[in-house]
This record gives sequence, C-alpha cells and structure tokens, in this order.
Amino acid sequence: MAKERHRVASDLSVEELVAELQSVIDKAGVLIHEVQGRSSAESSNVEHGVGGVSGDIDQLRSRLAEAETDLQETTDRMVEVEHQRGRLMGLYVATCELHETLDLEEVKRTVGEIAIDLLGADRFALLIRRGESDGYEVAVSRRTEEVADGLFAGPEYTGGDPMVDEALVDGVLRTATEEGSNALAVVPLTIKGTTMGALVILKLLEHKPSLTSEDRDLLDLLAAHAASALFAAQLFVATDRKLRTLEDLVEVVRGG
Amino acid sequence: MQPKKVLVVDDSKLIHKMFEVMLRSYSLVHAMDGREGLERLHEHLDIDLILLDINMPSMNGFEFLEEVKRSEAFDKVPVIIVSTEGKDQDTVRGLQAGAAAYIKKPFHNEEILQLIERLPPVASD
Repeated sequence: MAKERHRVASDLSVEELVAELQSVIDKAGVLIHEVQGRSSAESSNVEHGVGGVSGDIDQLRSRLAEAETDLQETTDRMVEVEHQRGRLMGLYVATCELHETLDLEEVKRTVGEIAIDLLGADRFALLIRRGESDGYEVAVSRRTEEVADGLFAGPEYTGGDPMVDEALVDGVLRTATEEGSNALAVVPLTIKGTTMGALVILKLLEHKPSLTSEDRDLLDLLAAHAASALFAAQLFVATDRKLRTLEDLVEVVRGG
Repeated sequence: MQPKKVLVVDDSKLIHKMFEVMLRSYSLVHAMDGREGLERLHEHLDIDLILLDINMPSMNGFEFLEEVKRSEAFDKVPVIIVSTEGKDQDTVRGLQAGAAAYIKKPFHNEEILQLIERLPPVASD
C-alpha cells in the first residue's frame, strides 16, 4: 500500500503538483472572499440597525427638549397668571375699600393706605378742594415735613409746585418728574370734569426703586374711584348735616 | 384637613382685607395693633401663624414679637413680618427677634403664599 502511494506520488510531475496546489489556493481564495462578503453584509446590517436606533434616540431627545420647553413656558405662564391674579386682587380690594363706606375720614384713610401699602409711597399728600375757594386741604399726608419746599407740610396747599398745579387745572395724571417740582406722580381726582383734589406722590419707599406699569393701573384706579368715593362721602356729610338741621328745626317748632 | 388659623396684626384695614381675599382657605383672626394682637392670641390658643406689621400704634411689631417669643405658650408660632420698613437693620432686628421671615410692602401675593406653604407645622408639645 505504501509502495503504491509512493509510486503514484512519484508518477505525478512537479508541474501537476503545482497546478493542483494552485487550484487549492484558488478555492481557498473564493471561500475567503465569500466569508468576507457575508461578514461585510452582516456588519452592514448591524450598522444599519445601530443607525436606526441612533435616529430614534435623536428624535426622542428632540421631543424631550420640546416637552421641556413647553413645561418651562407653562410654568412661566402660571407664574405670570399668579402675578396678574395678585395684581387684580390688589385693585379689587382697593376699589372695594374705597366704596365700602360713606365716612369721609375713612375714605381719606383708605386712600392713604393704598398709597403706602400698595404703591409703596414714603412721602405723599392727599389734597382736597376746600369748597368754592382756591385752596386745597392737605387731608392726609406722610413725612411731607421732610420735603425741602415745605409746600405740603401745613394743613393747606395754596399752590407752588408746577407739576401739581398743572394737574389740578387740566386733570391729567402725571408720572414723570418735572423741573421745579418735588413730585414723582400727581393723580388728579376728577369727577364730572371737575378736579376736586389730587394725590401727590413725593417719594417712594427706599426698597421701591420706581413706579411700574402695574402701579400705573393703580394710579388710574385711584384717579377714577377715589374721586367718586370722596365725592359721595362729602355729599353724605352735607346731606346728613342738612337733615340734622331740619330735624332740629322740627323739634324747635314742635316744642314752640 | 383643618384650615390653618392665621393672626393678622396690622393697623391698615386695607391689608386685613387683602389677606382676607388672599388667604381664603385659612381662618383669620384680626388685630389692629400689638396689644390687641396679644389679646387675640390669648383668646385663640390654636393660632398657626402670625402676619405682623411693624409700625403700629399702642404696641409696635417688634415689641409684640418680643412678647410672643418670651411666652412659652406661643414662642413656637411662626411670625412673618410684613412691613414698609425696608432698612437692613429692621430686617436683621426682626429675624434676630425670632421672625421666620421678613417681607417688605408692597408685596407680591405669591411671595407670602409660597412662604406660608413652606413653613414647617407648629410642633405641639
């Protein structure tokens, strides 16, 4: 058997052996190529899959960012709504308080409380026209004696501050300081076209840097409602006085 | 849950009305100055919180606060000062005297509401 094999081998020429070896090498090359092809296809499939997942993650990230933005906007809106609710509540309470009573002193005090607690006024004066005369009573004031010109420190204001004087004449609300005036804002109290007085803001509290747009709403409210509340209270006082006089007269007549 | 009982000590009727509207879910007790505040406190032993002004006739806010913190019955009741006095020394004085917070007028409602919500419940002995 071994002799037979040796004989077969010895019978094959070197060229035939080389050719056979070359054939084996070629087959191996084809196989390697096939294997590489499969591997590449599988790898491509995996890459494609990874690419798809990556796309989903990007989409999710984008949606998360959108959701976060929406949440922030909603939170901001809620804060703003809460803030506006508080602002409207202040205006509502101020209006209710002004019209709650016909007691003149109570109405004056309420105007003062609005100036301090809601506007943050440190120095102010509420001026009310004295009957038919030209003078104005300083009905309520706070720290006006600390103002250099002393125009609002006494019981009566007879003029002298240009911004206040102009507002008392034309009935226009002023919120910008004017040369020669110590006032920060002048709120004319006008009813039926007649200016019956004014709220003069001379200085704000130290922790309140300036009047805001929300304060402007409050000043407008004061201009409209304080005037009517004061007018109603004055009318009530006058009517009550007349009624008492009449009652006294009736008593005298009956007694006589 | 039982609504919280809040004592408001302030000489401004407007502020009392503001708190009435703002703290609708709370039961409010009113006092116009420190002395009346102490009377109300002794009448209502279940007060959970005090909202206190500083500038008041009869007894001011600091004097009232000192009295409250001296009393064993009320020293644990949190006090929030709500005042127009905005100087740093006033804030420091109030906090050193035992106030839980110091809010300057004019205030935003949400400031006070958030503060009240964050206050720890009063420890009952």
